[in-house]
Amino acid sequence: MQQISLKINGRQYHLLVDDHEMLSHVIREKVGLTGTKVGCEQGSCGACTVLMNGKAVLSCITPAMRCDNAEITTIEALAKDGKLHKLQEKFVEKGAIQCGFCTPGMVMTALSLTPTLTKEKGEDSFLFQIKEGLSGNLCRCTGYKKIIEAVVEYASEYTDKEQINEIEVITKQTLKGAVGVPRPYIEAEKKVRGAAEYADDIMAKNALHCKFLRSIHSHALIEDIDFQDALNLQGVHYIATGKELPVKFGVLPISQDETAIAIEKVRYIGEIVAAVAADTEEIAVAACKLIKVKYKPIKAFLSIDDSLNDVGENEKIHTYGKFNNNIHKKAELRFGDQPQGISEADVTGKMSFEFDGINHGFTEPHAATASWDENGLTIITATQVPHYLHRALAKVMEVPLSSVRVVKPYLGGGFGGKSDPFPHEIIVAHLARKTGRPIKVRLSREEVFLTNHGRHPSRMTVEMGISKDGILKVLDADIAIDGGAYGSFGVVTSYYNGVLLQAPYKLNNFGFRTYRVYTNKPQCGAMRGHGAVNSRFAVESLIDDLAFQIKMDPCELRMNNFLDSNTLTVGQYRITSNGSRESLEKVMEQSEWKKRIGKLKKGKGIGVACGFFISGSALPIIWNELPQSVVHLKLDFDGRVLITSGSSDIGQGSDTMLAIIVSEVLGIGLDKIFVLAADTLLTPVDFGSYSSRVTFMVGNAAKDAAENLKKEIIEALAKQQDINSEELNFTDNRIFSYDKKIDLSWLEVVDILTANRGAVSVSGKYISPKLGGDFKGAGAGLSPSYSFGAVVAEVDVDTETGYVKVTNIWGAHDCGKAINPLAVEGQLEGSWHMGLGQAVSEQMKYYKGLLFNNNFLDYKIPTSLDTPDIHANIIETIDPEGPFGAKEAGEGAIHPVIPAIANAVFNAVGVRITKLPINVEDILAKMKENRLLSEKMNG
Amino acid sequence: MILAKTYIKATSVGHALALANESGGSFRYLAGGTDVMVNKFQGNDEADLLIDISDIESLKDISSTDSHLIIGASACLDDLKKNQIIALHFSILLEAANAVASPTIRKTATIGGNLLCENRCTFYNQSAWWREAAGHCLKCNGPTCLASGGNKNCFSKFVSDTAVVLISLNATIEVIDSEGISIIPLENIYTGDGVNPRQLSKTAIIRSIQIPLLEDSISVFKKLRKRETLDFTSLSTAVTLRKNGKLRIALGGVHAKPVIVDGSIGDDLNALISQSVSKTRIIDNDTYSKSYRKEMITVFLKRSFEVLKLS
Ligand SMILES: Cc1cc2nc3c(=O)[nH]c(=O)nc-3n(C[C@H](O)[C@H](O)[C@H](O)COP(=O)(O)OP(=O)(O)OC[C@H]3O[C@@H](n4cnc5c(N)ncnc54)[C@H](O)[C@@H]3O)c2cc1C
Ligand code: SF4
Ligand code: FES
Ligand code: FES
Repeated sequence: MQQISLKINGRQYHLLVDDHEMLSHVIREKVGLTGTKVGCEQGSCGACTVLMNGKAVLSCITPAMRCDNAEITTIEALAKDGKLHKLQEKFVEKGAIQCGFCTPGMVMTALSLTPTLTKEKGEDSFLFQIKEGLSGNLCRCTGYKKIIEAVVEYASEYTDKEQINEIEVITKQTLKGAVGVPRPYIEAEKKVRGAAEYADDIMAKNALHCKFLRSIHSHALIEDIDFQDALNLQGVHYIATGKELPVKFGVLPISQDETAIAIEKVRYIGEIVAAVAADTEEIAVAACKLIKVKYKPIKAFLSIDDSLNDVGENEKIHTYGKFNNNIHKKAELRFGDQPQGISEADVTGKMSFEFDGINHGFTEPHAATASWDENGLTIITATQVPHYLHRALAKVMEVPLSSVRVVKPYLGGGFGGKSDPFPHEIIVAHLARKTGRPIKVRLSREEVFLTNHGRHPSRMTVEMGISKDGILKVLDADIAIDGGAYGSFGVVTSYYNGVLLQAPYKLNNFGFRTYRVYTNKPQCGAMRGHGAVNSRFAVESLIDDLAFQIKMDPCELRMNNFLDSNTLTVGQYRITSNGSRESLEKVMEQSEWKKRIGKLKKGKGIGVACGFFISGSALPIIWNELPQSVVHLKLDFDGRVLITSGSSDIGQGSDTMLAIIVSEVLGIGLDKIFVLAADTLLTPVDFGSYSSRVTFMVGNAAKDAAENLKKEIIEALAKQQDINSEELNFTDNRIFSYDKKIDLSWLEVVDILTANRGAVSVSGKYISPKLGGDFKGAGAGLSPSYSFGAVVAEVDVDTETGYVKVTNIWGAHDCGKAINPLAVEGQLEGSWHMGLGQAVSEQMKYYKGLLFNNNFLDYKIPTSLDTPDIHANIIETIDPEGPFGAKEAGEGAIHPVIPAIANAVFNAVGVRITKLPINVEDILAKMKENRLLSEKMNG
Repeated sequence: MILAKTYIKATSVGHALALANESGGSFRYLAGGTDVMVNKFQGNDEADLLIDISDIESLKDISSTDSHLIIGASACLDDLKKNQIIALHFSILLEAANAVASPTIRKTATIGGNLLCENRCTFYNQSAWWREAAGHCLKCNGPTCLASGGNKNCFSKFVSDTAVVLISLNATIEVIDSEGISIIPLENIYTGDGVNPRQLSKTAIIRSIQIPLLEDSISVFKKLRKRETLDFTSLSTAVTLRKNGKLRIALGGVHAKPVIVDGSIGDDLNALISQSVSKTRIIDNDTYSKSYRKEMITVFLKRSFEVLKLS
């Protein structure tokens, strides 16, 4: 411990710091400036960037002692006199902020970058300098597109003063209006200031810190745990082991197979074996090292094949199940007649594919704080689904539902990875009860990877047949997915892999069989595009191949086979609006497809693919009669409308969406609308942010609520004077009739409404219509509406190294109606960027069940330099049931991009990609094979 | 309880040496600290005493004599481009420096630190918990090498991007320790033993790096990695052709030390390539496979020869 003085944001501090303490820790924990984020602690994400004496440094690897007498500038210092810094304004205006977790680091990096930029070498070089300059800062949400736009504009102004005025005009324009007007998130300013509190930013008074001891075996019996030495360590308050928390949980009612801490045996390397509550994190870590566990390793099952087989004498991973193997779920559905389809086809193709698992890679690590008081448990946690966590906590803690309050603070990205109830959440609740103190936990990046719940490693064989004139006759898929140690969403994932192949093409003969197996690895679950990303890849690759075989343009082939609007699929999905055609037309036109296909030189290629996705699942996860979503509005004397909703804004902009919808219906400005969301005590139940359901379902509930409020207003007015409600307009903060007999300001109306009554509360809800067939499995993938889309990707393949550089992504997505086009673009760009990662660089690699690449250096999320130009096109088809016609936009777009890239590789070098991520070595090997083949044929 | 850790900022090279000599226990010099701090975070570096040499001004100078360009060991990678001579004559060094880590890291990382950046391996650059779960390998005091499945030698990768370039440029380094000052060819400090990859005396400080100025030369640098930034090398190649017809090839990422092959204009290029390949010790401890990295040596060298108009 030494004392240092440092000036942070102009204020002098004298602080006692540990000699080996990092600057990030001092800034956040000792000074309390939590705008600086910590995403990896290993210098590989950039979230912690601050300025030290004017120079950007990564505070997570800068010793605090080095900063003695230094000046530190953090994000909190940029806004001056209540006004944002110009660069911050640009981030807000351009929509460069989604979850906002990378934002502070990104802004600080951009700030220090700007003075070094030069336009002397032209615009391309200028853009490159910016992409390169930001390349140490990872963003998982935006695909960097809007971030780069923001920095380009700011930096241009910085060098080029004349442009400033013009830009300011645009700013004003983009900030007004309601549905359909592009606007930044309502909380964007808070995020860009570093003022938004994320789970790890919450500093509960008198809190203890929690750390875990994790298993070092894949599959082993726990013979003994001796934690006496650890307990004796000064500062240790409690050590919990599995038997204290015997109740099983899981997100699906049919897969309640996990306990918070392993009991009797461990099922993967990384599973929690004991949890320590101590005065500090450091003490908790030291205590974990003192805990002695005696394991008896038993046979581990690490591959799909291993787990499909009979286990013989060995112990199964989970005991239940009829058979002596590790199959978790089998599902099979058949429609039409596949053998018949095959016989009708002129050309058939059958291909096998393999996919590595991938991780969500959200930038904010999980964190939570739990405490108990007279009302029971309160947990503030980074979750996408407060509601399911609410239920799981009540179950495992064995308290009534009414004793659990789950609060979601700002959330740094989820993508499905924060949508299960997690062991760490349950453990801190338990420790808080045992110690009577608040307990805080935050996971390291390594622990985030071990917690996983990411995309399943999968393999599948798909067969399709087509007629000579390009009509698809049959699709049959045989799929196996590797679920890891527990169930999670896996049963749904299993079905989605199959059922979500029944569109966007018309198929009369369609069937699939899918298996999910347990293996001794971190569990897999839901991830953006849930379930169908890999099987979509297989089908779109196979279609590309069939097109090649029958010598038909793959775009034309797809056009020939699209389902229509207002139709049923073979498995009885009700398709309402369908923008497949428009989407494909758009990307063909933008990529100059017709001009270029077949005319590119070797190494360069373009490829196409399409996709579709659900706008929320029509059935709830836990069967009950609750509406899918309920939204409350409260209007009080001050004219302010408070929206309360259980929905979780995870960076996708759902709070803003709610505000826009209410604003549109009531014709009042966003300044009069306040959103309070995701607090299971204060807000009505919403099922959560998964399956792309929020805009459709919660949006509809909000619209319903706003319309109910409108009715109340009209009724109140009708009591005063004779009115025709049809003729009333709610616009621009006024309520008026065309003949202007009624012409009132919002506040005048509010006075009338609240007279002798006070605040008015109304409720709105969304209940999905009854849909689907009545066969077993009919419910899987049912949705009140589906999104559609298409992507053309362009690649440049180095024929000697196999390196695939994606040079352009043109995408179009039918989201029904863009409630907020800026946010929709952001979702699309983020989806395509994430798909790019799965296509070319991301994979979870294991060594005997131990995850190799559990950090942001070795798990390779594309940086700003690896991300090509992304061209987002919104297609609007105005869905009859979506709020203002809106459908999903958060997940579906990831489906087409991955096969489009792979198909472009085929176009470039004639190599069909059957494994993800694309492996340079496979490309080289197959190119060699192709060459040998053609030499043989010619010679 | 938790061990007392110490940090001291050295005010001069002499001060740093004295601290090191007195330390008794484990110490580590800290330049930028961008390699050390991550290794500490992962528990690979357990030094109790950190001697921060980043404030010693005399280590940051970049100057030149008639015969040499002299780069202070603590010169920041990002600052190299500001020097006229480097920009004009050694743009290849800038290329290599710019290939290190990320732009923000390069503002802190030094060239001296880069030369001494710890060797890497997928089994080694992991947390203490991970290495325990995997079973400790040679570099973590374990019995055998995990990457090769049982080797008794460690071939953790030598990864410094600037070192391969500097070696191809015939650079020397000026080293100070309690014995005095010595000037040695850069390559001489690398042992090829992945567990102890460098043979500088424990307290030695690199003061500067000297690059011969008189030997007019052109060079080509290439780096293999998955992403276009941030990633450590899976293979780096530097080829320098001097006016006098001498050719020097240096490879990184394919052995525990840099691999060096000397030749001259007119040599059989394929022979130079096979000589380079045969000197490597590649094992599967990288994101790319052993065979791919090997194959790419040929591709990279051929391409470099083309740029140098040798082929
Ligand atoms: C995300 C990330 C990516 C990275 N990518 C790369 C990469 O692509 N390529 C690469 O080469 N490196 C990379 N690095 C490692 C590191 O950033 C660089 O090697 C950097 O140049 C090290 O310099 P430094 O000044 O920070 O060294 P330090 O960490 O301070 O020191 C490194 C070693 O050198 C010793 N040392 C430093 N200076 C002296 C001296 N003058 N005399 C004697 N001993 C000295 C230290 O004691 C220590 O052992 C990366 C690091 C991170 C965090
Ligand atoms: S090469 Fe072998 S011994 Fe060396 S670090 Fe890697 S696994 Fe360990
Ligand atoms: S937290 Fe510092 S770089 Fe990731
Ligand atoms: S906005 Fe960049 S990580 Fe979420």
